[in-house]
Amino acid sequence: MAVKLYDKLKHSIRYFLLRNLPTCQQTVEKISQSMERRLTLRERTNLKLHLWICAWCQWYLEHLHLIRDTARAKADEPPDFISGPGLSNDARERIRRRLNNQN
Amino acid sequence: MNASQGKLPQESPDPGRWLDDHGDYLFKYAVFRLRDNNAAEDAVQETFLAALKAYQQFEGRGSERTWLVGILKHKIVDHFRRAVREAPLGEESEEASEHREFFERPDPWQGHWNTNYAPNEWHATPADLIERNDFWKVFNDCLSPLPQRTASAFTLREVDGLKSEEICEILSIKVNNLWVMLHRARLHLRNCLELNWFRREE
Repeated sequence: MAVKLYDKLKHSIRYFLLRNLPTCQQTVEKISQSMERRLTLRERTNLKLHLWICAWCQWYLEHLHLIRDTARAKADEPPDFISGPGLSNDARERIRRRLNNQN
Repeated sequence: MNASQGKLPQESPDPGRWLDDHGDYLFKYAVFRLRDNNAAEDAVQETFLAALKAYQQFEGRGSERTWLVGILKHKIVDHFRRAVREAPLGEESEEASEHREFFERPDPWQGHWNTNYAPNEWHATPADLIERNDFWKVFNDCLSPLPQRTASAFTLREVDGLKSEEICEILSIKVNNLWVMLHRARLHLRNCLELNWFRREE
């Protein structure tokens, strides 16, 4: 009985908040801005409440931070992803000739 | 050859050896940011040419690679600046999609995630991804459809960690404009990575 009442209450609070807080569309924009500047107290409160009731936006926030952390970890160790492990032979020879002319 | 030679500055620079020792690394570094092989090759060549001119200032202080990367960073920023000068910021068509469809719903919950586009849990850490070249291929392909300036802003911010003011100066934009660009880039990239990497991994 008590559990049922608690669930009902939780559901009502969630519904109330979803109806009154900024939408997910507005929230993801604030999530992005929170990585660029300090949000105002009101923005922070709305964001915290929204994240409390919305797993989707929680994951969105986690994903943006994962992307940032992963990209920054790769800053000094660039991946081999376009044309194999480095300069093509043509480009290497072209640069070598150019440098020899300069020297 | 004596034991201390490695530490002492050489009398004259040896650009052929620079190319052998650092060419591939510098190219990968540049192509990761410029996402264009030709532009990256040019940046590497310009780096070596500038290094030849500035060799007196290097004098063997610190690592040769760090010194060359420092020059390359400037060449990459120069490339971004040049791209901006040659293609001034246009109107709406130059901006990345807002992806309104992510938040279109048939029910009264308009503005909340459409379940077709809503994020799922990823179960990943940076350590799981950093060494996966196939991940970086997807990452790169996902950035490609973005307008050039948006992709450049994203790279300068999320890879190199530059401050907003520096990025605004390089790309000649206002800070509000930068925030919109970063938001749209993130919205697009997150969705693209989820579709093309995280769901496929499962």
